Amino acid sequence: MILGIRNAKEARCQGELRDPMSFVPFLFDVLAYSAIFVLVVLGLGVIASMMGIFNFAHGEFVLLGAYTVYVLQQTGVPSWVGMITAPFAVAMVGLLLERLAIQRFYATPIVAMLGTYAIAMALREAVRALLGGRFYNVDAPLVGAFVLGELSISKWRTVIIIITVIVMVLSWLLLTRTKFGLQVRASLENPALARASGISTSRVYAATFTFGAALAGLAGGLMVPIYSISADMGVPFLIKSFLAVMLGGVGSFEGSIVGAALVGATSAALPWAIKPVVADLLVFVIAIVIVKFRPQGLLSLGRR
Amino acid sequence: MSEEKQDKPLESMERRLFLQRTSLLSGLLALGGGSYLLKPKDGWAAAPIKVGIATDLTGPIGYAGVPNANIAKLVIEEINASGGLIGRPIQLIIEDTATNEQLAVTRVRKLVQRDKVDVVFGGITSSMRNAIKDTIVNRGKTLYIYPQLYEGLECTKYLYCTGPTPAQQCDTFIPWLIKNGGKKFYLPSADYVWPHVLNKYARKVIEKHGGEVIGEEYFPVDHNEYSAVVNKILSSGVNVVFNTTIPPGTPVFFKQLYEAGFQKKGGRLACVYYDENTLNITPANEIEGLASCLDYFKAVNDPFGNALYDKFAKQFGTKNPLAAGSAVTGMWRGLNLWAEAVKKANSVKRDDVAKALETAKLEDGPGGPSEIVPGTQHTAMHMYIAVAKAGKYEIVERSPGLVQPGECV
Repeated sequence: MILGIRNAKEARCQGELRDPMSFVPFLFDVLAYSAIFVLVVLGLGVIASMMGIFNFAHGEFVLLGAYTVYVLQQTGVPSWVGMITAPFAVAMVGLLLERLAIQRFYATPIVAMLGTYAIAMALREAVRALLGGRFYNVDAPLVGAFVLGELSISKWRTVIIIITVIVMVLSWLLLTRTKFGLQVRASLENPALARASGISTSRVYAATFTFGAALAGLAGGLMVPIYSISADMGVPFLIKSFLAVMLGGVGSFEGSIVGAALVGATSAALPWAIKPVVADLLVFVIAIVIVKFRPQGLLSLGRR
Repeated sequence: MSEEKQDKPLESMERRLFLQRTSLLSGLLALGGGSYLLKPKDGWAAAPIKVGIATDLTGPIGYAGVPNANIAKLVIEEINASGGLIGRPIQLIIEDTATNEQLAVTRVRKLVQRDKVDVVFGGITSSMRNAIKDTIVNRGKTLYIYPQLYEGLECTKYLYCTGPTPAQQCDTFIPWLIKNGGKKFYLPSADYVWPHVLNKYARKVIEKHGGEVIGEEYFPVDHNEYSAVVNKILSSGVNVVFNTTIPPGTPVFFKQLYEAGFQKKGGRLACVYYDENTLNITPANEIEGLASCLDYFKAVNDPFGNALYDKFAKQFGTKNPLAAGSAVTGMWRGLNLWAEAVKKANSVKRDDVAKALETAKLEDGPGGPSEIVPGTQHTAMHMYIAVAKAGKYEIVERSPGLVQPGECV
């Protein structure tokens, strides 16, 4: 007997995955949620893998991206303009914070966690005060769903899947195929040698952090039509994002993406089969078991 | 990351920093945070009556805590302006419980032990009420009034509930949903005490009126992906979704439900905490037809409610308006019922006030009159069923008189 079934009718509901009419939405939703997750984790992964900093304010960078779209929409600007502005706005905040605070934490990762956690609380409570603690919807540039007979596929989630793929590829190209990417990797592997070779590591770190913040801002901007804006918007993603980075392997950018896709897919897929409350827990159990057998992460070979 | 990136600060420098920081921190601690004292204007001969408000001014429940504190300020100002209570002014002491139960217990202990308040109002969530009630009622020997709609079953002596109970929210609402939606119900819920207990009650009422519960499912409170349950709802021909998930999950759930075409296929969405605050969580078209049942909506359009709404909006703005779902009407009712009882008892002693509260009545209020049902510590009030239409509520049914809370009988 599957967990969480109360009567025969519910059992029928659970069994309907074999039906193609529900298999397509299942596949789509798993894909869409994984895409959202990858988008959120990208920025976190870049900062964690390139700089060794676990940025606890990442969820709040996502929130700031969402807030940018919301504020601009309040002034009558269409939401797609807000979504383009969001990464730049959050990048500026990221750069400012990096110069003011984060750069002092590089030598002490534990202090960095606490420091970014404090920044997170300050940002979150500031936005809460501005919003009066309430939730507000933000319109998607594309609303509604594609309806194909009985099936309906959310338009905006489709757009998010496409954008995620594009952003993923562009980020990967930036980090592996450009001079900037080379400098970033050099600074990661041997900061002293990188400095000796004429790379300003402090500037590279600032740029990387800014880039990570921009990705978070983009994620927030794109997600806000789905989640509605509220001060705690970024919180549910944070812990699972760290799980994704850990799962993928801290040293590699690709690892974080694989980890994120995996965590996103399991989080979305498990509730189709078992109680959501159990599923939520199981995601962590599965991840911990994997990390037990591959403590270096799934893609440990990465670039280290 | 490697240590060579930055040179370590000198030892003496560290010590100086440490001293600077500890002195800053201890200074902050000494000042204390989150406590607000509102003294009545001068010119009173008698010592003030102390009213303590313990509510979540910050944290996720802040949207409700802030207007709760505001309505208390408004009511107390009104009472003081009209000569106070039994010849004494009222002093309001507001403590921020910050949506944090551990912290709340300390703050509430300060209210009852140090400030020695005569009554405590507050708490929004059930977990908060459960955390602070013992400190107030048993150890603090103080009267406690809880303003929010909740799951019922709270029969602690000296604890009075002035918000709606499951009976008040379900007894007429569910038959209405069956008539205006259908017989097949689905109960998607957040996994904490309120939905669990409310669903138990709702299931009984649904089955009593010939409906059936197709599924009852609990999600972690911050769950944000609902495709599985949406698919179950759509594929099993559910007529009514009786929602007790809470934000941040609710907007995602409602959007996924809408995009899957639930309403288009004739489905009815219901949610008993939905008020004016929650209307903006999703675009209006996604909750078109959503039905709620509360003790007050602005759309009730009663003269008393309108006047209070305007006064409240004028004084505190409309960011957190007078709304029933965030316990503001319950707080108004609680404060005024308590004031009536103090007048009648001509005392602020706990037993005297509690005795007088048993028969306390309000002739009018936002949404209509109300009264404590003797021997139950709960409040009978008028209830309204409202349906969301184009981003506003329309009242579709008004209770003919006071609705009984049906608790502790």
